[in-house]
Amino acid sequence: MTVQECYKTVGGDYKEIMSRLMSEDLVKRFLEMFLEDPSYLELLEEMGKNDYEEAFRASHTLKGVCQNLALTELFQISYQITEALRGGNGQEAEKLLPDIKKSYDKTVAAIHALLDGTDR
Amino acid sequence: MIRQLQQYMRCWMELIDEIGKITKEKIMGDNMKKNTILIADDADINREMLKTIFEEQYQIIEAADGEKTIEILEAKQNQIAVLFLDLIMPKKSGLDVLEHMQKKGYMEYIPVIMITGEATAESDEKAYEYGASDIIYKPFAPKVVMRRTKNIIELFEGRSYIKHQLEERTNELMESNRKIKKSNKFFIDTLSSVIELRGLESSEHSRRVKCFTKIIMNNLVRFYPEYNLSDEDVRLIVEASALHDIGKIAVPDNVLLKKENLTKEEEEEKRKHTIYGCKLLENLKQNDDGFYQYCYDVCRYHHEKYDGKGYPDGLRGDEIPIWAQVVSVVDCFDSLVSGRVYQVPYAVDEAVRVILAGECGVFSPKILDCLEVSKSELFQAAELELSYAGSVEN
Repeated sequence: MTVQECYKTVGGDYKEIMSRLMSEDLVKRFLEMFLEDPSYLELLEEMGKNDYEEAFRASHTLKGVCQNLALTELFQISYQITEALRGGNGQEAEKLLPDIKKSYDKTVAAIHALLDGTDR
Repeated sequence: MIRQLQQYMRCWMELIDEIGKITKEKIMGDNMKKNTILIADDADINREMLKTIFEEQYQIIEAADGEKTIEILEAKQNQIAVLFLDLIMPKKSGLDVLEHMQKKGYMEYIPVIMITGEATAESDEKAYEYGASDIIYKPFAPKVVMRRTKNIIELFEGRSYIKHQLEERTNELMESNRKIKKSNKFFIDTLSSVIELRGLESSEHSRRVKCFTKIIMNNLVRFYPEYNLSDEDVRLIVEASALHDIGKIAVPDNVLLKKENLTKEEEEEKRKHTIYGCKLLENLKQNDDGFYQYCYDVCRYHHEKYDGKGYPDGLRGDEIPIWAQVVSVVDCFDSLVSGRVYQVPYAVDEAVRVILAGECGVFSPKILDCLEVSKSELFQAAELELSYAGSVEN
């Protein structure tokens, strides 16, 4: 899988990320870091505890990271969750959890496929 | 004697030159570069992205939460060229960090660039309100981030360089001033001792003149604030008063020490001590030197009279600088109470009465007023504090 194909699969913006980072190697390096980013798991954990304040912080971080990586689809869902939690609306955020889980799993799988297929 | 004096003067001028040179060197030689960037963001990826932009040119320090950010600021504030600050972080938020920086005064010299995801007018305004220098938005565009950051760093460097330069300059000037004051004092002492060595005046005389001048000046400042004289002015005038007769060192002994009545020519020559004093001082003139002006005025005008009948210029009324008028009345007063002119010393009361009656020439009403209100202080000083023993010239 190429970087471009990976971005297409996960609903990201390949053109945009390349216009900023200019190098596929660099993009791959950051995608690899994304696998280590804890904010998605933190979001699930805090939602499970009904701690919406901490859940807000986690989704806010996830949103920022996705924005920087041009992972557009995941960015949009995390954006919606962040805004729901910013207004203290835990129920609405709860409703979006299946969507984000689906998108996150898809993204992680595609990144693995990308990294495994190339330099691993 | 004159040669010795010239030598002293040369030393003095050299000292002033040297002070000027040292000041310049110190200002030019300063280097103010800071080379560390502090990145505060809770997401590793975001920090790493900024780091890749700057790591070739700067030392990078990272902080993943507000507490760590403050900790690093406390340890390395003087090395940090710019702080990238995310608003929403665990433990302490970006706003907490800004508050801390404001309290500690760090905002003055550390530029803060806020990191934000949403570019709304509201959040921008908030960031600037908290003292941020700039805002960058996610997603990070390396070229733009680099350019803006460099601009901000340069701006702050320039600003703090100028501020630092000003502070240095002020300190240096204060130091130079202190040294000049010290050499002024040295110079006055030298001149006074030249006059004393020549047997023209006693050291008691200049001590008394300074003391009386101070008393009358203080009352002048108190009752006639329109002259706008500061404490520093009074201090300088008092110092200058000791030099009123320095021109006498250029008057020949056969005139100056003559006991009999002077001929018209001799009297002319003696009066020139006012001019000679100024010529001596002219060699020492510096720009914007208040002390020089006081010395000059006191030397030249301390024999002028309010009705224009004095010498050397025949000035009248308030054409005569007020400080020269003060030294003039003090000189008369001292000649009366010390007995150096009239053989038998006058009592303070009597001396004041004689001057008020116009027997020593015409003085301005304000000066006479100050003399009168100073009477008890002058008495205190003359009778109790200043010793006349040995002051009457042989």
